[in-house]
Amino acid sequence: MQTLTSMMNEIRNPSTPKSTASSILKSLTHSLRHAPGSHPSQILKLISDLCFYHPSLAQLALDSLQSLAPQLTDPPSQLTIEYLDTLVYISGRPVELDDILFTSICLSPSFPVRLWMVRNSGYRVMVRPELLYPLLMGMTKEPYPCVREESLEALVRLGESAVFEDMSLVKGCYGCGVQLLSDNEDCVRISAVRVVALWGLMLASFNADMEAYWSNEVFAMLCSVVRDMNMKVRIEVFNGLGKLKIVSKELLMQSLSKRVLVFDQKSTTEQFVLLASNVAGALVHGVEDEFFEVRKSVCQSLRSLTILSVEFAHGALNLLMDIINDYKVDVRLEALETMHHMAINHCLELQENYMHKFLDVLEDNSSKVRYTARKIVRLVKLRDHLLFKSTIDGLLKNLDSYPQDEADIFSVLSHIGRNHKQFVDLIANEIADEVKASFEGNREFNSARMAALLVLSISAPFLNADVGPIPPVMFSFAVTFLSRIHCAFSDVMDRETLLEYLIQKSSSMVQPEININEGEGQYPLVKDDVQNVASSETVHSEININNVEGQLPLSKYNGKNVADNEMVGSEMKDPNEVGRQNKRPVHDSVVLTYINYILMKLPNIWPKVQSCSADEVLCSLRHWKKELSSLTFDSSAPADAAAFALLYLQIIKLVVEVWDHLVQNTEVVSRSVELEHKLENLDRKAKELMSHFVGFSEEEEFYILELILLTYTLRLCRAEICSRDFIFKRMTIIYLRIESLLKLRSDVASAFVVELGTLIRESSTFIGGASCSSLTFDKYLKLFSPKRFMIREAIRHRRAELSIPNNGPDYPLPFAPGLTAAIPCDITLHNISSNCRVWLRMCINDGFTQHVYLNLESFVVVSGEVRKTSYSLPYYRTPEVDSFKLKVCIGLESLFENVSPVQEHGGPKCELVLLCKEKIVYLSKVL
Amino acid sequence: MAIETLILGAGQEVGKSCVVVNINGKRIMFDCGMHMGVLDHRRYPNFSLISPTGDFDSVLSCIIITHFHLDHLGALVYFTEVCGFRGPIYMTYPTKALAPLMLEDYRRVMSERRGEEEQFNSDHIAECMKKVIAVDLRQTIQVDGDLQIRAYYAGHVLGAAMFHAKVGDSEMVYTGDYNMTPDRHLGAAQINRLQLDLLITESTYGTTIRDSKYAREKEFLDAVHKCVSAGGKVLIPTFGLGRAQELCILLDDYWERMNLKVPIYFSAGLTKQANVYYKMLINWTSQRIKDSYPTHNAFDFKNVCKYERSVLDAPGPCVLFASPGMISGGLSLEVFKRWAPFENTLVALPGYCLPGTVGNILMSKPPKIELDPNTQIDVRCQVHQLAFSPHTDSKGIMDLIKFLSPKHVVLVHGEKPKMVSLKEKIQTTMGIPCYHPANNETVSVPSTGYVKAQASDAFMERCLKPNFKLHKCSSEELSIKTLSDKNIVPELQVINEKAALVIVEDKSKKLKVVHSDEVLVLLGEKKTED
Repeated sequence: MQTLTSMMNEIRNPSTPKSTASSILKSLTHSLRHAPGSHPSQILKLISDLCFYHPSLAQLALDSLQSLAPQLTDPPSQLTIEYLDTLVYISGRPVELDDILFTSICLSPSFPVRLWMVRNSGYRVMVRPELLYPLLMGMTKEPYPCVREESLEALVRLGESAVFEDMSLVKGCYGCGVQLLSDNEDCVRISAVRVVALWGLMLASFNADMEAYWSNEVFAMLCSVVRDMNMKVRIEVFNGLGKLKIVSKELLMQSLSKRVLVFDQKSTTEQFVLLASNVAGALVHGVEDEFFEVRKSVCQSLRSLTILSVEFAHGALNLLMDIINDYKVDVRLEALETMHHMAINHCLELQENYMHKFLDVLEDNSSKVRYTARKIVRLVKLRDHLLFKSTIDGLLKNLDSYPQDEADIFSVLSHIGRNHKQFVDLIANEIADEVKASFEGNREFNSARMAALLVLSISAPFLNADVGPIPPVMFSFAVTFLSRIHCAFSDVMDRETLLEYLIQKSSSMVQPEININEGEGQYPLVKDDVQNVASSETVHSEININNVEGQLPLSKYNGKNVADNEMVGSEMKDPNEVGRQNKRPVHDSVVLTYINYILMKLPNIWPKVQSCSADEVLCSLRHWKKELSSLTFDSSAPADAAAFALLYLQIIKLVVEVWDHLVQNTEVVSRSVELEHKLENLDRKAKELMSHFVGFSEEEEFYILELILLTYTLRLCRAEICSRDFIFKRMTIIYLRIESLLKLRSDVASAFVVELGTLIRESSTFIGGASCSSLTFDKYLKLFSPKRFMIREAIRHRRAELSIPNNGPDYPLPFAPGLTAAIPCDITLHNISSNCRVWLRMCINDGFTQHVYLNLESFVVVSGEVRKTSYSLPYYRTPEVDSFKLKVCIGLESLFENVSPVQEHGGPKCELVLLCKEKIVYLSKVL
Repeated sequence: MAIETLILGAGQEVGKSCVVVNINGKRIMFDCGMHMGVLDHRRYPNFSLISPTGDFDSVLSCIIITHFHLDHLGALVYFTEVCGFRGPIYMTYPTKALAPLMLEDYRRVMSERRGEEEQFNSDHIAECMKKVIAVDLRQTIQVDGDLQIRAYYAGHVLGAAMFHAKVGDSEMVYTGDYNMTPDRHLGAAQINRLQLDLLITESTYGTTIRDSKYAREKEFLDAVHKCVSAGGKVLIPTFGLGRAQELCILLDDYWERMNLKVPIYFSAGLTKQANVYYKMLINWTSQRIKDSYPTHNAFDFKNVCKYERSVLDAPGPCVLFASPGMISGGLSLEVFKRWAPFENTLVALPGYCLPGTVGNILMSKPPKIELDPNTQIDVRCQVHQLAFSPHTDSKGIMDLIKFLSPKHVVLVHGEKPKMVSLKEKIQTTMGIPCYHPANNETVSVPSTGYVKAQASDAFMERCLKPNFKLHKCSSEELSIKTLSDKNIVPELQVINEKAALVIVEDKSKKLKVVHSDEVLVLLGEKKTED
C-alpha cells in the first residue's frame, strides 16, 4: 500500500519524467498480472491517473490492460466493471465487448455489476444490437426495481439515437414498456411511460398502413395511466402524448370527455370501442390535476395535439380557457403559449364567450402573461364586428391599466388594424370623432388612448392604397405622435418611412368638407404644403414624386427610380455636396418637413387661446415639444431648425400661460410671483430667439419680431408704471425694425402691428405712456395671431460647448489664494462668425464676475462654422478660502435691441446672451 | 385463509360508516360513525354483532377513524366510553385535532337544542381522545406483532386518509371517503400500488360522472356574482368544516380577482375554531395552498367580515355561510325564514340533503314550505344547487380500483341502486369480483397466504441471477410465432427462466421447490423407488 501511495505521489507530480512514469506503469501492470489479490482497484485507479497526467502513455496502458482482460473479467465481478470503467476513461471512447463477456456480466449474480452494465450498455459499452436489445428486455423482468428502471431507461436512450429496421424488435421493446406500466414501483412506471411513448411512436412509423392504428393504440395506452397516483408518471404521460403525430379524431374527442362518447355507427371503429374507456377524460384529468407541473405538461401536449383535428382544437380551447385563469403564472403562460401555437397553425377560433374570458387575461398582473396574451391577439382572426370592437376595447383598457405596456399594445393594434381593415372602416368615423374632439379640446386629452386609436386607424389602409372612410386628418394627427407610435410599425417600416406614409396619406385625399380657412380643427398636410416645404430644398422632390406615382413609401428605398431622382435632384451641386446628400437621403428633409408641420399647427390652436381654453392648448404644445425633443439627427442643419422650433414653441407656451394668467386676472400673491417669473422667462427666451439664431429670411424675421412685440405687450400689461418707459423703448426699436422690413418686402402689416405702431407713436407723445391701462392692451393682444410659417434649413443655431477637463467635486483644480488660477477649457463654437464678440464669464458665489474675451482668431476652424480651441483661462481674484466653486459660461454680445448697454469695465459692451449652460468649476487650495 | 368483512354501517346506505374486518385473525374496526338522519337506537352501529358478550377488547385489535365527519366518527365516544372498548384508536393528526370540536358541537346540539338525553358528555369526549394515537401519512404503524397499518392521503376533508392494513401476507385498503380530483384547498387522493386482496371503497356517487370542476365553479360564482350585483343576499347553508373553507377560498379568490367589496360572513363559531386549525395544518392541503403559504395563508380570508346578528336585517348585498348545511335547524333555518320570501335572495344548497330537511324540500323548488302547521314560508328566492362534492365520482372510483388492481372489491357508503350499477361495471370491465353487502352482513373473500417450502439448491442458484437463455430460432420457427410474442428477434430469443419452478411434495409431506431441470431427475428417482 505504501508503494502505491508513493507511486501516486510520483504520478501526480508534474515534474516526474516520462521514463519514471512508464516504469511505474510497468510495475503497476506487473503487479496486476501477478498479484491480482493486492489492491487491484487502487492499481486501476492509479493507471487511469497516470494516463491523465501522461497522456502519451495512454496507448501503452491500454494495450497492457487489454492483455489482462481474461484475468479481470472472469468471473465478472466488481473488478470487472472497474476495469471496464478504466478502459473507457483512458481511451475516451466506448469499449466494445464480445457477446460472451457481455452476457456473462449481464447475468452475473452480483446486482451492482448487472446494474452497471445496464446503465452503461449502448453508451459506454458497445455490443451488437442483436444481443443488446434482447438482454435489456430480459432485464426489465429483474426483481430489483432499479435494474428494471435502468434497463427501460437504456431502451429509451438507445431508441432515441438509433434507427431500427426490425419491427419485431420495436414491438418487443414497446411490449416491455406496456407490461411495466403497472409496475408497483413509481420509478419503473415513469421509465415505462417513456418507453411506451418512444417505442410506440417508432412502431407506428414503421408501416404507413398501420400508422394510424398504432398511434391510436399508443395514445390509449398512455391515456390509460393518466390517473396514476405518481405525479411524475402523469407528467411523462402528457409529455408522451405531445409526441404523437396521428390520433383519430374520435379518440381525441374522447380524451376531452369523462363520459364515453357515442358516435354514429359509421365513424365508430372497433378500435375506438375498445380504447374509449381508457382514453375517457384523460386531458380533463390533466387540466384538473393538483400539481402545476402536470397542468403545464398538458398545455405542452395540447400544442401538438390541437394540430391534428380542428374539432378537437375547438374542444381543447375550452380546457385552455380554464387554465388561463390558473393560479400559477407558469401554467397560465404555458396555456397562452399553446393558444399562440394554435393561432399560428390556424386552429384557434376565439368565439365571443371565450373572447371575454381571454380579454380578462390582458389585465393579468404578470407582464409575461400579458405579453403572451397580446401575442395571440396579434394573430387572431376576428370574425365579426362585435368581437373586433370588444377586442379593441380590451386593449384600450389594458393600455389604461398598464401604461408600461404601451409599445406592445400599439404594435398589437397596428397588427389588428392591418388584418381587419373592414372592421376598422366600420368604426373609423367613431374613432375620428373622438380623436378630433380630443385634439380640439372638447374632451379630456388622453394621449395614450389617442395614440392607440390613431395607430389603429392609420394601420388599416396600410396594405391597401384606399384609405376608405378614414379621414386624412387622422394621418396628420398621427404625425404628432410619431415618436411614440413608430415602433408599432417597426416590423414593416422605419420611422422616416412611416412619416412619409402618413404625409402621403394625409395629403393624398383632401376632403372638401374640411374648410382650411375656418381656423378650427386641424389641417391635413395638403399637397401644397408639402410642395412648399419641398421647394426649399431640392431633395424633397422625392415626396412629390411619390405622391404623383401614388406609391407607398415602403417601396421607395428599393426602387431604382429613387436613386435616379436623387441624382437628378443633386445634379447642380458640387461633388462634395452630392456625396453628403447621398449619405443622408431624405432624413433631414423629412425632419424639416415634420418640424414645419408642427409649426403650421400653431395658428390653428390660437383661437382656443383667445377663448381661454389654455389647458388644452398647453397639452398639445407640451406634446409637440416632446415630439421635437425626441428627434434625432444625422446632421446639424435639421438639429438647428429643431432647436429653433423648440424655442419658438417654448415661447408660445409661455405666452399662452401668461395670457391665461392675465385673463384670469387673479391677484393671488403666489400666482403673481409665478407670473413675474414667467414674464422674465419669456423675456429671456425672446432675446435668445433673436440672438441664438442666424440666417432668417426676411419673412421669418418679421414673424419673430412680431412675436417679440407680443411678449412686450404682455409685459406691459403687468409692468409697473416706472418700467413701462423702458419697455416702450424696447418696443420702439423692434417696431422700427419691423417697419423697415415691411418697406423692404412691400408687404402689409398685420392689424396687430399697425395698432401697436399707433400705440407706440402715441405713447411717445405722452409722458411715460401712463395713460395706458392693461385693459387697452387686451385689445392688442386679441389682434395677434401667430402666422403659419415654414422654416428652412438656412437657420443656424449659435451655440457653444464648454467643458472643463478633469474637474469635478472630487477632482478640484488647484489654486493658491491671491494668485491667478489657470482653468483649462475645451470650447467649441457653432455658427459664430468671426465678427462676433464672445466672452467667457466666470462668477463666484459672492457675485463677483470676471469676463475673459475669447479671441476667435485663435480658434481652429473645424468645418464651416464650427470652431474649436483648448484654452487655459486665467482667473485672477482667487479668494482666501480652502475651496470654492466658479460658474463658467460662454456668452455672446448681443447687438439686438441694445437698449441698456452694460459697459462694465473691461467687460462686454453689450448685453451677453449665454450660448451654453453654466459649468461649475471646482477649485481647491494647494496645501 | 379468508378476509371477513362485517358491515355494521353504511351498507347500501349513506351514514354511520362502520366496517369490521377480520384479516388473518386480526379484527380491525374501520370508522365508527353515526347516522345523522335517525334519532333512535339505530343511529349507532349494532356493536353486539362484534361480540355478543360485550367484550370488545379481546376481539378488536384497534379502531381506525378515516376522517372527522360524524358519520365516520360519531359513535366513537359511545363505543369507547359507554360500551367500554379500551383498545387503541388511530387517526391522522388533523382528525385528532378536529374530532373533539365535532363531537362537542354535536353533543351540544343534541342535548341543548333538542333536549335529548345525553349519550355522552364532554368528559367522555376528553377521555376518548386520550385513547387516540395520531398517525402521519405514509407512516407505518405496527399495531401489534402481526398487524401493520399505514395512512394514505384521501382528499375529501382536511386530514382524511385511506388506511392500508396488512396482516401476514394479506393486505387490504379501506378508503373511507375520498376525492380523486383536487379541490381549492385539498389535493387528490394519493396511494401507492399495493398487492391487495381486498379494497373497501366508498361509492356515494357510484353512477355520477362529473364534468370539469372549472365549469362547476364558474357556474356557482356566476350565480353568486349575479345575485350580489343585483343587491341580493346569498345564503350558503353549510357545515362549518371543510365545505365552508372550500367555498370561502373560492369566493375569496373571486372577490379579489373581480375586486368585489360585498361582505362575506361566517356565522358559525365552530368555523372560527376550525379555521385556527386549518391555518396550522397547511401540510395537509394541496400544492396550491402550500405554494402560496409563504406569502399568504389561504385561510386568512381577506374578504370575510366579522359576523353580528344585525347583518341579517342590514340592507344591501352580502354572502352568509350558516350551519347546518341541510337547513335542518339552527341559524341557517332562521336566516332562510327571513330571506326566502325575497326574489333577489340566492340559496346555494350543497349537493346532498337528507330527505325530510328543508334543503331537500327546497331542491324541488316549491312555492311554499310548511315548517309546521303554524309556520309557512313563501319561497321566492332563487336556489342554486352546488355541483361539487368532496366525494369522488364513479370514474374516480373506477380509476382507483384500476390503479390498485385488488383481488376483491367491497362497496360501502352508497345507495343500493348505485352500488349495484357500479358493481356490475367493475365486474364486467375489470373482471374483479365485487360485493355490496347490506348492514350487518358479512362478506368473506379469500386472502393471499404464503406457504413455506424448501427450495432446492439448483432453484436457489437460478433465482440469484437472471436466467436468460439465448435461444437461436430459425426463420421457420419465427413465422409460426404470433405477434403477441414480444421477445422475439430474428435468430435470437430470450427466455426468462425464473418462472420455471415446480413444487413437489416429498415423503415427509413438506413442500419443496425445485427447478424444472431437476424434475426429470426426481421423477427418475421415484421410478427407481417404485
